[in-house]
Amino acid sequence: MDPHERIQAASGFLLQAPPGEINDVLNDVRNIISDDDLLQEGVLPALREYNLAQFMTVDVPGTDHQSIVSEAARVPDASDEKERFLDPRSRTSFVFDHLSLEASEPREEDPDPETEPIRAALEASTLTYMTSHFHQGVASVFAARDATEEYIIQVVANKYNPTNFWSGRWRSEYHVNFRDSTITGKILANVHYYEQGNVQLATTFDVEIKLPAAIQASNPPAAASKILALLEDEEGKYQTSLNETYHEMGEKTFKGLRRALPLTRQKIDWDKVLGYKLGAELSSSKGVFGSS
Amino acid sequence: MGDPIDSMLDLMRRLPPTRTEENVAALINICPDDADELLGSVDQPLQLKIDRATGREYLACDYNRDGESYRSPWSNEYDPPLEDGEVPSSKMRKLEISANEAFDTYREMYYEGGASSVYLWDLEDGGFAGVVLLKKSMNPSSTTEPSGSWDSVHVFEAAERGRQAHYKLTSTVMLQLTTRKSSAGDGSEKDASKGAEGWKRDGEVSLSGSMTRQTEQDWPIHESSSHITNTGRMIEDIEIKMRNLLQEVYFGKTRDIVYELRSIDDLEKARKQRELQKELVGFIKR
Repeated sequence: MDPHERIQAASGFLLQAPPGEINDVLNDVRNIISDDDLLQEGVLPALREYNLAQFMTVDVPGTDHQSIVSEAARVPDASDEKERFLDPRSRTSFVFDHLSLEASEPREEDPDPETEPIRAALEASTLTYMTSHFHQGVASVFAARDATEEYIIQVVANKYNPTNFWSGRWRSEYHVNFRDSTITGKILANVHYYEQGNVQLATTFDVEIKLPAAIQASNPPAAASKILALLEDEEGKYQTSLNETYHEMGEKTFKGLRRALPLTRQKIDWDKVLGYKLGAELSSSKGVFGSS
Repeated sequence: MGDPIDSMLDLMRRLPPTRTEENVAALINICPDDADELLGSVDQPLQLKIDRATGREYLACDYNRDGESYRSPWSNEYDPPLEDGEVPSSKMRKLEISANEAFDTYREMYYEGGASSVYLWDLEDGGFAGVVLLKKSMNPSSTTEPSGSWDSVHVFEAAERGRQAHYKLTSTVMLQLTTRKSSAGDGSEKDASKGAEGWKRDGEVSLSGSMTRQTEQDWPIHESSSHITNTGRMIEDIEIKMRNLLQEVYFGKTRDIVYELRSIDDLEKARKQRELQKELVGFIKR
């Protein structure tokens, strides 16, 4: 396997890392590839891709809050400069280290006076919503770079509990477009439970809703609070529907795969099973099952 | 740094179980020398094969593999055919035939479908070992119907000690469940709750994974077939336990963790309630 292929394989593993386990995966990959020089150079693009896709959170220098590092947060690059990410809340951009997950070189950024009132209103409502429904959430709201009258709301909540062998991540993203009067969004939930095993929940949900005309006509703070009320309703319904899906899977799929006990509701009498030939006899079975 | 194989196994405990086969293949590409050890330690979904001689379904795994060929428990033949493929001793094969029949009955009673296979082999120290495989899949007729699969792999070692036998059993169950849902309102329908506006929702929920448990027990033996009743009881017991455990983890634990991330109820209201209560308690004490 040539070095390029090895890096590709290593990158593929990193991109699959469960919530909060990227360092564990990187450590395994390091030992498997056993070529630190190759790895150090090669895996940075994968770490960057992972961090952006997973809405990695970072302490913003000079503030007491965290912001989300994502594609929406990326500051359009000025060619030869280092890549920077924006925290619109504190009007600060920073350089992000994709390995140590730390921000540095903070710089003040002037917001666009045209979009800032709506963005700031959406941010205020989003933060209220977030504290009402997420235990340890982080949210960022951006004015979209490549679409006019569009705002991007991102929320992420992580819980890592390695002592009890589990971790979880909830990600929400909504594109609120006032020109098309639409909200398109997605919710992604991932759970990893790994006590004597490896069990993972992965959910995806895509939603598209119309922005009611009444909201369009409101002033920014009123519009923002109505939009977040819509999203609160949508996410609440989604979480409830998730419960129903759990119930269905448990009642139908799981039971359909393997019964808890045979039809006779008794465990098998193995002495009788032995030597018993399966075939026509099974349907008219007598004496195979327990004491029957 | 430790042995790469330990890191590979740790990695496989972390990466998504839905991509086990692809990831094992990638690891083997990186470290071809560790292929045998990796294939012997990582449980992968069982492959369903058809015995050419009898037309019966059987299950393929690392234990009935010789090179690129797999041995069927029904005809004892390798596919693709091998002239000198490894087969059990005649005494072992006799026991293997009875074990396959017994676990086929077990399969029908608990799984009501699916496939089973048992493979046995002699051990150098005089005992013997075997693997009991069970698989059932539910394949949906449409994309919105739920799908799922259950794969059991029970590997055991038996050592006879006079009229007793000591069994070491390692059981792994791989379980995968997927449900897709989608709905849409195009505005023309009388969908009052959404104000007759256009909307669309698509979702997928996937629960997948594996759990492994080990047990050791002693059982009396009266004849060689006692090994089948003994391992049968042990496997039945552990599968019942593991089914309960899987139910708890899949439908309880992972759901609880989602609720640790997001709460349907308003947390802010709950916080205010608690504060109010504290205040009242303080007020009454005074």
